[in-house]
Formats: sequence, C-alpha cells, structure tokens
Amino acid sequence: MVNLTIDGKQITTAKTSTIYEAAKENGINIPVLCYAKKLLPYGACRICLVEVEQMKGRLIPSCTTPVTEGMVVNTMSDEIRKVRKTVLEFLLVNHVVECPVCDKGGECDLQDLTYEYEVVTNRFQGEKFDLPTDEINPLIERNMNRCVLCGKCVRVCDEIVGYGSYSFINRGFETKIATAFDRGLNCEFCGQCVSMCPVGAILPRPFKFKARPWQLKEVDSVCGYCGNGCTVTLGVKDNQVQTIRFNEDTGVNHGNLCVRGRFGYSFVNDTKRLKKPMIRNSNGILVEAEWEEALSAAAEGLKAAGSSAGFIAGARLTNEELYLFKKLSRTVGSDNLDHSGGECYRGVTEGLFETLGVKASTGTFPQIESAQAIVAIRSDFYETHPVVGMVVNQAIRRNEAQLTVIADKKGKLTKLPEARTLMHTPGCEINILNALCQTLLAEGIAVTDGVEDVAALQAFLADYTPEAVAQTVGGDAEAIKKTARELAAADKVAILLAYGLPYSAYSKELATAAANLAILSGCAGGAGSGLYLCGEKANSQGAIDLGIVPGAAGRGVQKMLQGAADGEVKALYVVAEDPMVTYPDRQAVEAGLKKPFLVVQDIYLTETARLADVVLPAATFAEKDGTFTNAERRLQRVRAGIKSPGEAQTDFAVFTRMLKKLGQVTAETPTQVFAELSQECTEYKGIAPADIGPQGVVWGGESLAPTKKQLKTVAGLVPMDASYLLLTGSCLYHSGSLSTHARGPLSVVPEAYVELSRSDAATLGVKEDELLKLKAGDQTLQAKVKVGTRLPAGVMFMPYHFAELELNRVYKGQPAIPVKPVK
Amino acid sequence: MFKEFAKGLSITLKHLMPGHTTTVDYPKKKLEMAPRFRGLHRLVPTQDREKCVACYLCPTVCPAKCITVESDENAKGEKYPRVYEIDLLRCIFCGYCVEACPVEAIEMTSAYELANFKREDFNFDKERLLKS
Repeated sequence: MVNLTIDGKQITTAKTSTIYEAAKENGINIPVLCYAKKLLPYGACRICLVEVEQMKGRLIPSCTTPVTEGMVVNTMSDEIRKVRKTVLEFLLVNHVVECPVCDKGGECDLQDLTYEYEVVTNRFQGEKFDLPTDEINPLIERNMNRCVLCGKCVRVCDEIVGYGSYSFINRGFETKIATAFDRGLNCEFCGQCVSMCPVGAILPRPFKFKARPWQLKEVDSVCGYCGNGCTVTLGVKDNQVQTIRFNEDTGVNHGNLCVRGRFGYSFVNDTKRLKKPMIRNSNGILVEAEWEEALSAAAEGLKAAGSSAGFIAGARLTNEELYLFKKLSRTVGSDNLDHSGGECYRGVTEGLFETLGVKASTGTFPQIESAQAIVAIRSDFYETHPVVGMVVNQAIRRNEAQLTVIADKKGKLTKLPEARTLMHTPGCEINILNALCQTLLAEGIAVTDGVEDVAALQAFLADYTPEAVAQTVGGDAEAIKKTARELAAADKVAILLAYGLPYSAYSKELATAAANLAILSGCAGGAGSGLYLCGEKANSQGAIDLGIVPGAAGRGVQKMLQGAADGEVKALYVVAEDPMVTYPDRQAVEAGLKKPFLVVQDIYLTETARLADVVLPAATFAEKDGTFTNAERRLQRVRAGIKSPGEAQTDFAVFTRMLKKLGQVTAETPTQVFAELSQECTEYKGIAPADIGPQGVVWGGESLAPTKKQLKTVAGLVPMDASYLLLTGSCLYHSGSLSTHARGPLSVVPEAYVELSRSDAATLGVKEDELLKLKAGDQTLQAKVKVGTRLPAGVMFMPYHFAELELNRVYKGQPAIPVKPVK
Repeated sequence: MFKEFAKGLSITLKHLMPGHTTTVDYPKKKLEMAPRFRGLHRLVPTQDREKCVACYLCPTVCPAKCITVESDENAKGEKYPRVYEIDLLRCIFCGYCVEACPVEAIEMTSAYELANFKREDFNFDKERLLKS
C-alpha cells in the first residue's frame, strides 16, 4: 500500500494504482476522455492533467502516472483549469458542433466538459472535418468528424474483444480512426466500441434518432440469451426497449456485451408477438379467446391427463417460474417434467455428477482471467458464449495464459494470440481429451491424490497415446503432449465446456472425459481453477438446480414425445420452447406434438404453437421480475422494464392463475416464491432475495468443491467415414430460435447458410451466396453458401436457429451428419 | 376640502374628454404588440423543410409539458421532427422553448387571438405551426 495526499486528503491505496484511480476511489473527480476502467492506461487526451508537488514545473497526466509514497497531488488550480480549457479548445478546433442532431448529446463527455470549463469561444481556427460517415453495416454508425482520437475503440477491440477492427491512420491533423484499408466496418458487431466512445463518433444504428439519453429510463436486468448472464441495462421509453445502455458497474461482464445482447433486443417490441390467448375451435382453427376460457381449457386438459400429462419447459424462464412449473406438474400428478430437449443438458450433468459429484461449473468467470492454462472444448464456445470468450482473451493478453482449443473447426478462439488448436475430425473431442489424460498419467504428472480408479483409467487409455489419437482423428501428438504438460504445470486451470440443443450427441461421454481431464490436471477442486459447464440459455443452470428433470417414474422430453405419439402421454404443456424448430428429429417431434392435447405458452405463434390446442401469450425477459442463475452459478435479478403487449402475461402470472384453477394457492410475487424455493432447493438454501445485489450471489462459493474424484473410462468415437460431414451448432449472431425474431442479429445473419471451406467450394463449383442442396438420407436441405476459412475440407457447417431450414429433419442427435451435395 | 374635491374631479373629467381614453376599441381596433410579446408559436421553415432538427430540448425544458416531438430520419439521412405538436391549452407562454432552441427553429409570434370552439383545435401540429 502507498500513502499519498490528493487535494489535502490523506489517501492509502494499492501500489498498482494510478493517481486517477486513487482519486476516483476516494471520491475525487478528475475529468477524463481516454481512460476506461477495463482498458490499459493510454494517456491520449491530456484532460486529466494534475499538479504533483514532487514533479513541479509541468503537469502530470493522472491516468498514466502510478502513485508513489508521499506524493502530494493537486487536482485543480488556475493553471490546471487553463490548460484543460486549452485542451478542449484544441479538440473543438475540428470537432463538428452538431450536438442537436448527435445522439450522444446529453451524455457526451466532450459536451459536458465544454460546459463545465465554459469553452464559449475558441482562440484557434482550423478546418472542420468533412469525412463521409460509415453506414455500410446495419448496426454501427461511425462519424469520424466527431472523433476526439481517444483511441478507446481501438483499444477495446484489441484488448477485450480481440478482433482488432480499428487502428489510427495518417498523421498530425489528418489522423483518424479507420478500419483496414479504410473500408466500411465489417466485424462481429459486438458494439464494444459503441459503448466505449466518449463522444458521438460511434453510435448504435438501430437507436439512431430514437430518443435522447435523458428521456430513457434505465432498468438493470440480465440478458435473456445465453448462460453467461451479462447485465443489460434496458433504455426504456414509451413502453419500449429503445436501446441497451452501457453499464460497467453492475454484474459480471464489466459492460462487455456481444452482438446479441447489445443489438438483439428488438424482439421485445415486436408487433407480431402474441397478444391474446388462442383456442382451437371445433373446426380445428386457432381462434382468439379470453384468458379465463383458455386457462380453464388448459387446466382441464392437463388435469384430465393427470399422471399421463407431460411438462416441457425452456431454459429462458426465471427460477421462480420454473419452480411454479414444477409445482404445476406435481399438482397435476405427473412426473413427466423436463427442459431444453432433455438430452441437451442431461448427458453433461450426468457425466459431471458421476465423476465430480456436482452438476455445475466449479469456478466463476473472473477466475478464468487469472488462469494460466485454458482448454476450450469446441471452438463453438466463442459462438455460444462470446463474453466468456472475451474473458479468455484477457487471460491471454494480460496474464499470458496458454489457450488450447480442441476443435473440429477454427473460429475466433483459435485466432487468439498463441492459441493452440488441436484440430480433430468431427465428433472426436473425446479422443483428444483421452490422449491428454493418457499423457498426464503416462508421464506421471497427473494429480492422483484422492482420485479413484486411476489404474483402471490408465489401463483403458493405453490405446489413446497422443500418437495413436493424432493418427486416427487428427491433432498433433507433440501439441497434445505439450498441452498436457502445461495443464499439469499450471496452478490455475480453466476447462470450458458449453452445451446446448445442437450439441446433444455424446454429451455424457464428453462431460466425463472433460471431468477426467479436470481431475487429473488438478483443475477440479484447485483454488482458482475450474471446469466450466456453460448452458446455452439464460437460465439453463437454474433449471438444473431446481430439478426441472423427470421425477422417479417420469419420462424425459424424448420419451414424452415418443409416448405422446404412442398415445401414452395424453397432454403436453410446452413453455418457452419451440421443439419443432430446435429439437433434434423433427418427424418424431411432430408426431409427438400432433397427437396429445397440447398447450403452448410462448411469445410468438411458433411452429409448435401452430399445432397447439391452447396457446397462451407469454412475456419476454424484459417484462419479468425474478432471478436467473448463470453458468457460473450466479443468481442475478431480472427486472421488468416494460409492460407486456396486449393481454400477454408473464409466465409467472400464468402459472399462478393456472395453479389457482387447479386448487393450489401460491405466493403472489416472485420475491415470495423465491423465499419459498430457497427453502426447498438445496443449492439455494440460505439465499434471501435481498442478498442478490448488483453483483448477484454465487451459490456454493467462488470455488465449488467436487464431492468426489471418480475417474470413469470413456471410449472415444471412431471417425465417421463420409466424403462430406455436416456439423450443426450455434452461430455467433444467434441464440436458440429467439434471436431470429430480433432485427439486430437478423440484419447481419438473416437466413440459414451452409458454410464450407474454399477447397470444397472449388471442388463443388459453388460460389458465395449460391444455393447448395445437400442430401442426407432421404431428406434434402438447401441453403446459401458461405465460403470461409474456418472449416477443414470435407466438413460443412449449418447453424440450427432458423425455422425455414428445418435442419432437424436430418439432425437427429448424431455427432455429424454425412451429406451428399447435389446439383 | 372643496378645492381638493374639484381638483380630483377635474382629473376624472379630463380623462373623459375624447382622445384621453386608455381603453382600445377591440376588436375594431387592435394594439400593436411589443416585439418581445409571447404569442402563438411558429416553427421556422427553411427552403424544403422545417428548421427544427428534433433535438428534444424544447419538450425537455417545457415546464407545462405541452410539446410533443418525435424524431425520425428523412430521405437525406437528416434528423427531423416527424411529429411536432403543441397543446396550447397547456402552454403557459413562458417562452422557454424559444430560449432553449439551439437552431432558432421556434419563435413566438404576436398572435394572441387563440380562442376556439373545440378542444382538438387547440392542438397545433407541425403544419399549423409552420404556417402560423
């Protein structure tokens, strides 16, 4: 610790602080333009100049100067005021003053400072910039005439996102921020630069001219897309979410968001949302009905089915809603309860439970940043959880972590500095993981204290030497060995594993293999280390914690649908899911949904809802109060920002009304229900609603200790033999089928595509945007071609989000789909 | 006492003489308003559009909250008020909107004859304000 004096105030602060940080901690405000909490100090704007007694004769930039013992700092004097005013005058020489039409007006740092320092005239004359604005992309507008060259966008894109879209070009007065070759911006559109820009040079296009900052009501909530649980601050006006505001103080994401979180909010305001309940009439047509009527019909249908009713939830419901949903199934007397397609989460949780005795991530996301070795299983991890990917990037850049990606295709993670990619044939992650475990054991560097069945695993893994694995599934034997040695040497290890609806194949085996590696590398139970199990949806972890799983005699989703097709399950209640689009095996799903009495509760008239007998209009995350549990076990508050359109109601309200119809009395508010569920759910025991503050509450503590360390043998897959293999999965811009209703993601990726390598494109003679037909079994799929460098030859990729594609006609849960391109 | 009484009465009588009245014969005769009189608002037009850039400063500053602005982007990519309305029944004619306007797009005219028969007629939309 260091002692210093700022403005006569005695301050003790950390040795690593700068003067600016020390002052800010103690409530002393120094103006800045180029400083940002999450970026490295830069010292570009010279607004933060202060006087230091020990360094008389010149002014010192406070944001780049570290504190020293006995330092005496003055943050304001006549000279400082004069110099800061001059700096502002310099900036205003060529800054176009169009505040009335600039969307930043009202929250612009330059505007505020100009006002504060009373810069009403300018002693300097110069030409104003007249550069064309960059409006080529649909999401981010760049107007370089307003730029103050603070470099925050350049730095955030490099340091945090790791994309590197921007750089300074030219010299002197001509200096400007530009993209490569000064063309229009074409990046992954996460919008970090938008949130960083202190002036109106980079703005969100969907929000252009929509409202002024001071008119927006800010509501802190949690993003409804992936399991990362980023805080999103809704900017609300006229009962609409107008934009997502920058907020770096709340939550786990330090203001970082991905394209979905920042630009994918518009489905909330969509006019096509369901506004009234619907009932299928005697002619078999869905017609609008009153709530009472629809609820009675639904309740009666479910009650009549009794123990043969099935309950399927999506993982975008809040904890409170999931709890009520479970209660509803118990009230009806059914054990048939499940969520997220069943297979999607069951395998991974079972695999983890059998080996480590837990069903959740063992660490928290901030710990990843200080990890020395990181293993990401599947390169799709960045696509499903982009903000965790940004944390990985910081671990690499700030703490020199070594990242190894076990991947069947390249991606953002494989491009990070010094990232090692162990490329394997599709579906063979387990082989590589086994080879890593084999190396750890063979070289005697594995952690085996208190680990069960080491010998059995070692014997089993004899066939999985790095050399053998490299030969059968690809990957470099030396690289595998090197990775294993690094994992053993590192104190802090992070192993990242994502799961989701398009990754249901061999999920239990994969989780087991990952857990084996976590045990042998000392990651499981090690301080600061963690195995991260990242769910696809906002509340995937909550659904697991609350036990939205089949009861003792119950069926899982697949069995429910099968039972429904066979007539054994007589009624189905599907909430916040669109099985027709997202579940594997469309034909089976359709057969299962068509036969029973079907109640669908969703925000859109989805393909599933079209088959329903009763449709109940529900609400989005922006209309709900409650809690989500993110992938690192953090419970966070979700807050309602707007009212639901028409007669739509929150799922919470629908469940309470439905329970009332079935003669059950429940608590009225989410807070009361949370109090009730925290009594019942062992994981949430002792957490009071009031405890869930801005940073949430992590159940089980920062490091969740495994209850056992039981190694399990798990066989790798034999590489599939087909000239073309089709992979399915998530793409960065979308999440589930929900984002296909949001304008932001849609403007970048509007429709399904089939991605293939350049060599395949050349062999097949197809070009970008041409249609390609793929035959798989007796089904054909057709999509536009996207030629890229991510995929190896013979492998194609299709995202699963789009309803029109009907990918699940051929995707039935297999590791990869053999396809034949047809002309 | 009588002297004072006569003096007072003479002042009264003097005012009764023609040419000494302060009352104006409205509506036959109308006063000319002072240049700073705050009457009905007027939106200033330019050649092809209104001068207003929909910066929302007038509805923000308005103490009576009688101004409704909705901004939008026109074909040229400029910001313009798709909706600009003043509810004159609420307006207190304080002139803050004129003072706040950064582009001098709104001013107050000398028009004060604003009585009308229907409530709706007091709602001045963009077209009316541009013509006033």
